[in-house]
Amino acid sequence: MASQYTQDTPEAALLVAYANGDVSAGRLLINRLAPRLFAYASRVLGNTAEAEDAVQDVMVKLWQTAPDWQQGQAQVSTWAYRVMVNQCTDRLRRRNTRAQVTIDSIAEPIATLASAVETMTQTDRADALQAALGTLPDRQRQAVVLRHLEGLSNPEIAQAMDIGVEAVESLTARGKRALRAALQGRKEELGYDD
Amino acid sequence: MTIKQSEDQALDVLFEAAKNKSPTPSDAFLARLANDADTMVPDVGPGALARQSAPPEKTRVFASLKTLFTASGLSGAAALGVWIGLVMPDIVTTLSPLPGDAVALSAFLPGADLSSLSE
Repeated sequence: MASQYTQDTPEAALLVAYANGDVSAGRLLINRLAPRLFAYASRVLGNTAEAEDAVQDVMVKLWQTAPDWQQGQAQVSTWAYRVMVNQCTDRLRRRNTRAQVTIDSIAEPIATLASAVETMTQTDRADALQAALGTLPDRQRQAVVLRHLEGLSNPEIAQAMDIGVEAVESLTARGKRALRAALQGRKEELGYDD
Repeated sequence: MTIKQSEDQALDVLFEAAKNKSPTPSDAFLARLANDADTMVPDVGPGALARQSAPPEKTRVFASLKTLFTASGLSGAAALGVWIGLVMPDIVTTLSPLPGDAVALSAFLPGADLSSLSE
């Protein structure tokens, strides 16, 4: 059954096939969407279990939406990112309500990480960036991750976050400034100089 | 390792490193998602159509009962008539318009009146 689809088969076509009872099309959609959604959720939420729950919720919503999906209404991946952004926003809001996370409280692990690292490997750099991402306000973090790590275009991010393109540009620009500030003073440890 | 680059370029180096170390979902988690997809797939196959077009169980039971009562009612009435004719022939005679008249079976057959005219 899976052989009738190629890498070029549009996601919308796969979703319609799934809605018509083709499980193999659904599994292909999982292979295409889940890793990207999981990476995004992990980076934004910083918690694997919570990221898995968020991705599962998004995929369940996608299967529920499948019978009513109309080709051409939106890209499936854009729709999925949009639902995922809302998922993450809700979870971060609940988390912030439960325990007010302050910049001070999350600055500590960054300092610990930075001081522990003498020679940054690729892995260390990725970890340092992840730690710095954790210091950003939620919306800036979401925009920066979507733009610079997930590779979405600004219009796609605008759709996913339900904001204008200019707002996306503003969020990503401020997010990058905040990242630079968070990483400032640790350049030698990160392996680069001015 | 020292990289002499601008801050933006240095940030891009970090982004690139992070992209290469993208968090990946576990096989167990992907299997969980696949199980969800299998469970929730809409049932639109030929079997589902047949199940949709088949009448509900209650309707079929009522239809069977109706057929049973109809058939048993007709045969019951016929049996009752035969029984009355055998056991109480007087009643049948009393009910006929002319007591003592015999009624030929041919009177109830189609075309019997025409054949009597030709005689």
